[in-house]
Amino acid sequence: MTEKINLTIDGKEIQAEPGSMIIQAAMDNGMYIPYLCYYPGMKPYGACRMCVVKAETPTPDGSYRSLPGNPASCTTPISEGMRVETNTDELISLRKGIMELLISEHPHGCLNCHRIDLCGPTDVCLRHVTVNDRCVTCPKNERCELKDTVRYMEMELTTPLTYNNRHLPLEVKDPYWDMDMNLCIVCSRCVRACDEVRVDQAITLKDRSGRSIIGTSNGISLLESGCEFCGACIDVCPTGAIVERDYKWDKAETKTTTTCPHCPVGCQTSLDINKRNKLIRSIPVREAEANQGMTCFKGKFGLDYANNRNRIKTPLIKKNGQLTESSWPEALDLVASKFSQYKGNLYSLISSDRGTNEDHFIAQKFARQVMDSNNIDFSSNTNTEIFDNLSDMIGHPSATNTIWNLLKSELFVIISSNITEQHNVLGVPIKQAISKGAKAIIIDPRETDLSRFSDNWIKPNINTEHILIGGIIRSIIDQSLEDHDFSTKSCENFDEFRNSIWDFDLSRVSKETGIAQDEIQNLAKLIAESKSTSFLYSLDTISSELKSSASTSIINLALLTGNTDQPGAGIYPLFSGPNEQGARDIGCTPNFNPGYNHNPTSGIGLKQLNEYVNQGDIKALHILGNQASIGSESGKTIKSIVDKVEFLVVHESFENEYTDSADVVFPSSLFAEKDGTFTNLERRIHKVNPALGSKFDEDEDWRILCQIALRMGSNAFNYNTSHEVFTELSTFIQTTDEISFDKISESGQIYGVERNYKFKPLSMTLSKGSITTDTFPMILTRGRILEESTVDAKIELVNDKNSITRNEIIELNSQDAADINILEGDPVKIIGENFELSGVAHLNGINSGTVSTTQLFGSLIEKVQEHKTEDPMLYFDELTLIPVRIEKP
Amino acid sequence: MNFEELKNQADEKWNQLNDSPTPVIRVGTAMCGHASGAFRVIQSLRNLLSEKKIDAIIEEVGCIGLCYAEPLIDIKKQGQSRLFFNNVSVNNIEQIVEEYLVNNEIKNASTLGYLGEEGAVFNEPDLNTLPGIALQERIALRNAGHTAPGDIFQYIANGGYSGLNKALSTMEPSDVIEEVKNSGLRGRGGAAFPTGIKWSFLVGSPGPTKYILCNCEEGDPGAFNDKGILESDPHTLLEGLLIAGYATGASNGIVFIRHGHDGPINRTEEAIKQAKELGILGKDIFGSGFDFDIEVSLTGESYVAGEETALMEAVEGKRSMPRYRPPFPAAFGVWGKPSNINNVKSLSYAPEIVSKGADWFSSIGVNKSTGTAIVCLSGDVNQPGLYEVPMGLTLKQVINDLGGGMKKNQTLKLLQTGGPLGGVLGPDSTDIHIDFDEMRAAGAIFGSGGIIVGSNKVCAVDLTRILVAFCQFESCGKCFPCRLGMEHLLEIVERISNFESQPGDMDLMKSVGGTMESGSLCGHGQLGFGPIRSAITHFEEDFRLHIEEGICPTGSCNNPKIVPKNTRPYAQDFVAGVKND
Repeated sequence: MTEKINLTIDGKEIQAEPGSMIIQAAMDNGMYIPYLCYYPGMKPYGACRMCVVKAETPTPDGSYRSLPGNPASCTTPISEGMRVETNTDELISLRKGIMELLISEHPHGCLNCHRIDLCGPTDVCLRHVTVNDRCVTCPKNERCELKDTVRYMEMELTTPLTYNNRHLPLEVKDPYWDMDMNLCIVCSRCVRACDEVRVDQAITLKDRSGRSIIGTSNGISLLESGCEFCGACIDVCPTGAIVERDYKWDKAETKTTTTCPHCPVGCQTSLDINKRNKLIRSIPVREAEANQGMTCFKGKFGLDYANNRNRIKTPLIKKNGQLTESSWPEALDLVASKFSQYKGNLYSLISSDRGTNEDHFIAQKFARQVMDSNNIDFSSNTNTEIFDNLSDMIGHPSATNTIWNLLKSELFVIISSNITEQHNVLGVPIKQAISKGAKAIIIDPRETDLSRFSDNWIKPNINTEHILIGGIIRSIIDQSLEDHDFSTKSCENFDEFRNSIWDFDLSRVSKETGIAQDEIQNLAKLIAESKSTSFLYSLDTISSELKSSASTSIINLALLTGNTDQPGAGIYPLFSGPNEQGARDIGCTPNFNPGYNHNPTSGIGLKQLNEYVNQGDIKALHILGNQASIGSESGKTIKSIVDKVEFLVVHESFENEYTDSADVVFPSSLFAEKDGTFTNLERRIHKVNPALGSKFDEDEDWRILCQIALRMGSNAFNYNTSHEVFTELSTFIQTTDEISFDKISESGQIYGVERNYKFKPLSMTLSKGSITTDTFPMILTRGRILEESTVDAKIELVNDKNSITRNEIIELNSQDAADINILEGDPVKIIGENFELSGVAHLNGINSGTVSTTQLFGSLIEKVQEHKTEDPMLYFDELTLIPVRIEKP
Repeated sequence: MNFEELKNQADEKWNQLNDSPTPVIRVGTAMCGHASGAFRVIQSLRNLLSEKKIDAIIEEVGCIGLCYAEPLIDIKKQGQSRLFFNNVSVNNIEQIVEEYLVNNEIKNASTLGYLGEEGAVFNEPDLNTLPGIALQERIALRNAGHTAPGDIFQYIANGGYSGLNKALSTMEPSDVIEEVKNSGLRGRGGAAFPTGIKWSFLVGSPGPTKYILCNCEEGDPGAFNDKGILESDPHTLLEGLLIAGYATGASNGIVFIRHGHDGPINRTEEAIKQAKELGILGKDIFGSGFDFDIEVSLTGESYVAGEETALMEAVEGKRSMPRYRPPFPAAFGVWGKPSNINNVKSLSYAPEIVSKGADWFSSIGVNKSTGTAIVCLSGDVNQPGLYEVPMGLTLKQVINDLGGGMKKNQTLKLLQTGGPLGGVLGPDSTDIHIDFDEMRAAGAIFGSGGIIVGSNKVCAVDLTRILVAFCQFESCGKCFPCRLGMEHLLEIVERISNFESQPGDMDLMKSVGGTMESGSLCGHGQLGFGPIRSAITHFEEDFRLHIEEGICPTGSCNNPKIVPKNTRPYAQDFVAGVKND
C-alpha cells in the first residue's frame, strides 16, 4: 500500500490516493465540484473549466504558495498539505460566467427555469419556450448531467447573451444511435472514449473555434469510420447529443445490474427497465472488474430480444401432430411418466450455453441421479480441444490470468482468434496496451481488427499453426532463449518435451507453414525476450483434429517462456458461450462429475450424439433453452436429429426448429428473467439478476427439472431458491479460496485454483484432410476490419438508413490467378456452397490455394440490424474458412 | 571534418566570391522581396544578362531590413563596394544593367547607397548612414541580406558555427547555460521568460531522448521576423538549436513552421541538409562526441499551434489544441519526452552570445530587456521594414526614424503591438521605450515584435472587430470560455460596428472578457479580451460615437466589411494587398 496524501478541501481534511487529481480526491471523499468534460477513468482534459478551484501548496518555510490563476481541479494533481477552495464567491461567479456562455448555445429555456419540477410535458409555457427547446423533449431529460449542473449552480433565469442554436439537422441514419448536435456541448468525452479507451478513433472533433463539433473521422457514416458500435460514446455523453435510438424517450423505472449473455467476458451491465416492464437500455457498469465500464455491440444493442413478446407462453404438448397449450401439471406429468421409460443410456440431455450454473448443476444432477445417464453436455461444447491438455499441463482448464491483466502485457500472441468481434472487451486492454507500446503477434489467415494493430501478422498455410508454434519452440531452444529456471524447476517433463521437438526441423517447418526460417527465428526471439506475454487462442480456423496439437504447443510455448500467471502474462483459451466455464466446472459434460471428478463411465456428448441417435442408441432427447446455439455448428447437429428420437422435450423461449419437432415444450426464462450465476473466462462468478419481471408462464430450467425430478420420485431436488442450489454446487468447485455469495452478488468473485505445470511432448502432426473438394478447390479466408480508407466506399440511403457499398478486393495468389487467366483489377466472382461474392482481383503473394477478402465491420452491423429473428446476434456471421472456386463473371 | 578545415574552406570560397572578376548581383528574396516581385526580377535579369552576354553571379540573399525598398538588389564589381538599387522591377532592371553593368554609370537608376570597405561608388551615400540602417544593431539578422541562405559556407565564412565550435570545444553545457543566463536573454515569443532559466529546466529531465523545439508558427498578422530569419539566414537558427541542444543535453531538435510558408520551410530544410552533409548535424559533431539531429515539422492550419503545448500536439500529428499543465513540457513534451520550446529569435541570438560573451550581449539594450528588438514595422509609415534595433528605442524613434514618419497627410492614431492578442496604444504612447516591462505596464506587449502603425484614417472599432474576428476564428475550440466567449465578443463588436449595439453591450463585453481571462485553458483565451480592453481604454470616444451617435469617425465602418475568414497563405477569402508571384 502506498501512503495516502493528506490535503484540505474547503476546510475539510481528507486523504486521497497519490497521483489523483483534486477532483478525484474530492469525489472519493464524497465532495462535489461541478464538472462536464471530466469523466472518471479517462485522462483529464481540462476543457470545460467548470471545475476551477483555488489551490495553494505549502512551502518549506511554512507559508503557502498559491497555484497561479484558477486551476482546473481535473488537471491539477494533489500534493501533501495542499489547501483547496472550491466555492469562493469568485469561483462561483466564474463558473456561472462559463456556464452562461455554455448554455447560450444549448436550449436552456427549461434548464434554469424555476418551474422545471412542476411543469408537465403538455403544459402551456408562459415563458414561450418553444417545444423543441424544452427539456421534456430531450431524450436525456431526467438523466442529463448538464441540467443537473445548471441546477446545482442556481443559474439566473435570463441571460444577456444571444441564444445561438446551431440548427443542425439530426443525424439518425446510422445504426443504433441518434445524434443531435444541437445539444452537444463539445466536451469531447465521446471522442476521448473512442480514442483513448477503445483505441478506435471513429469519431473526432471537426472544424474549429465556435464551429467545433463532433463528427466521423473517416467518411460520412459510422459504417465506414471505424466504429465498433460499442456505445462507449453514448455512455459518457453528458447531454442528449448522442443517445441509443431504441426507446430513446423512455424513462427507467428500475435499474438492475446483471451479466450479459453473449460471451464469456461476462460484462456487468445495468439494465434500465421502464414502467411497462421493457428493457430499454443497457449501460455497462464502470465499477465492474471484468469489463470496467466497457461492453460491445452485443451487450449494448443486442439485448432487445428480451422484449420480444412472440414467446412460448405456456407448456405445449404435441397432440395429433400439433403442439397445443397445456397446463404445467399435465406437461410435467407426461414428461415424468415418459422419461421413466428411457432411463439410462437411452436418454440424453443438452443443456443451454446460456444456462446459469444453477441450470447446469441441476441438469447434470437430473441426468445422472434421476435418469441414471451420463449423456449430458451443453450446446456450445463444440470446441473442447482448446481445453484439452489444460488440466494436464497447467492444472485447471481455465485461463490463467484476468482480463485487465492484459493491460500489463508487453507482447500478445494471438492464434486464430477474432477477439474484437467474439470477445470484444478483451480487445480493449489489448488495444490500449499496444497503443502504449506493447507488441502483438497475430497468427491467423484472416485479417481482423487486431491484425491491424500488429507488426507481426503471420499467415501460415491453413492448418499448420501448430507446426509453426513447434518451430518457434524449436528455435527458442536452439538459441537457448527459454526460461530455463522455470522450465526445469517449476515444470515437470522438460527433458522429455525437449527431446520431442527435434522433429521440428526449421527447414521442414518453413516448408510446411510457408513461413521463412528467419521469420520464425525472429518470432522466437520476440517471444523469448518479452518480459511478459499473453497467449490467447480460440483456434477458429483450425480443423478439429489439429486443435488439440495446437493448444498443446501453445501451452508448451507459454511454459517454456515462463509466461503463466505473472503480471502481464497468461494463457487464455477463448471459448464462446457465456457460461461455458461454469458448465465445465459444474460437471455438465459427459466425462466429468462436478469439480472435474473423472467419471469412469463417461457418457455420450454433443459430438457423438448424431451417431448414437442415428443408431437408435439414444431415444429420448432433452434440450434446454437452446435458441442460443441454433445458428452455430452444434445447432446444425441438433437440428438433424430432433426428428429421429422417440421422445423430445425442449425448454425454449421462442419457437424454432427444435420446438417444431418436440413432443413437449416448456416455456423457459430468458437471461433477464433469471436469478443465478455465470462464470466468466477469468473464473469470475457473476450474479445474473432478474431485471425483468415474469411476463408469461415461463420458468427457469432448473426449476422445471426439479419439478420433473420430484414427479419421478426423487427427493434430492427440494430447492426453493437459486441461492440454495448455488450453496450446494459451490461445494463442488475445486478452489483454493472460500466462495462468498455476498462477494459474488456485490462484484463477482474469481476463485483461485491450484496449478502445476507440466510439459507435454509434441509431434509433427500433419493435416489429414482438407475442406476443399473438386467443385470448390480453394479456401476463402475472410477478414473483417473496422476501417479501411484505402478502399473506396459509397454511402447511400436505403430506407432512410445509411448503407455502405464497396468494391470488394479479392486477393489472389499471382500464380493461381495466372492459371485461370485473371489479371490485376479484373472482376472476379467467388462461389462456394451457399456463398457468393463479387469483387476486383488483387494479385499478391498470399498462400497458393487460398483466396482472401476483407470486409468492413459496418457491413456486418447493417446485416445484423436488418435481421428479423428474435436474437440477431446469434446469426452473427463468423469468419469461418469456406471452400470456394473462382470464376470470371 | 573538423571546424578549422571547414572554416578555411569557407573563407577561401568567400574570398573568391568577394574578389570575383565577374560582378556579383545580390537580390533580396525574403518574403518582402518575394511579394514585391524579386523572383520576376531575377528572371528578367537572367534573360537580360544572357541576351547581352554579360557574365555575372546572381545570389539570392535575405532581407537587409528595408522592406519598403524591395525588390532591392546590389551589384558588387571587383574591387568596388556594393551598390544598392531600390524598388527594382521588371521595367527598370534593364536600365540598371544598361547603366551600371554596361556603361558603368548611374543616370536615372534609383539607388540607395553603397556598402563596403572599398569606398564610395560614384557619389552614392554610405548605406550605413540611412536612419533605417544606422539605428540597427544586427545580431540575429547579422547576415541577412549579405550572405546567401542557401550556402552554408558563406555562413561559416562570416563567423558561423564558430559559436557552436567554441561551446563544444571549450565549454561545459552548464557554462553555456550560465552564459545565456548572464546575457539576460529573454524569450522573444511573447512571454519574455529568461531563456537560460528555461533551458535549465530541461537539463535535469531524464534522457536520453529530449527535444528542443523551435517555434516558427508565427501567425500574428504583422509579424515576420521569425520567417525573416529562416529565409535570410537559417543556419543561425540551426546553430542556436545546436547550442541549446548541447547546453540542455537534448538529442533532437524540431523546427516547427507554419504550413504554407514555403520560403522559410525550403530554406530551413536545405540548410539542415547541408549541415548534415558537412557533419554539423548528426553523430559526433566536430569530434566532440555530441550527437544532435534537427527536422522540420509543419503545422496544420492553426494559429493556436503556436502555443507551446498545442505545438507539441501538432508535431505528434494531432489536432493542435493546448494541453493542460502540469505536467510541463520539460517533464512531458513531444511524444511524452522532456522538451523545451524556444522562439526562432531567442535561439538565433545564442551563437553570438556564445561567441562574443554574455557581457557583450547584456551591454546592448536597457534595464531587464537586453539585446535587440527585431521590429516588424508595418502600417501607415513611409518605410515599413524588418529592423533589428537595440532594446530601449522609443516608439517615436521607431515611427519617425526607422519608419520614416507617417505617410503624407496622415497623423498617428494608434499602434498595434505584439500581435492580435497584444493590444493597441494611443498617440500619446510614443515616448514608451521598447522594453518588455515598460510596454507591459503600458497595457501592450512587445510580444513577437510586430508593430502596426495606424493613422487617423483607422477606426478603432473597425480595427478591434478585425482583431477579434481573427482571434475568434483562430480559437482551437477546446476550452469553453474561449470557444464560446470569442463568439460572443465578436458578435457584440460586430453589433457596435454596425451601429446596432444594445444597451449594456460594453459591460457585457467586459464580463465575458473577464470570464475568458480567468477561466481559459491557454493564453489565447486568457488574452483574447486584450484587444478590446485596450481599444476601449484608448479609444473610448470611437466606441461612444458608434454606440450613441451611430457615426464612424473615419467612415470605414460604413464600407463593406473585411472579414479575415481565413488567415492562411492560400486563403481565397482574405482581402490582401499583395499578390503572390
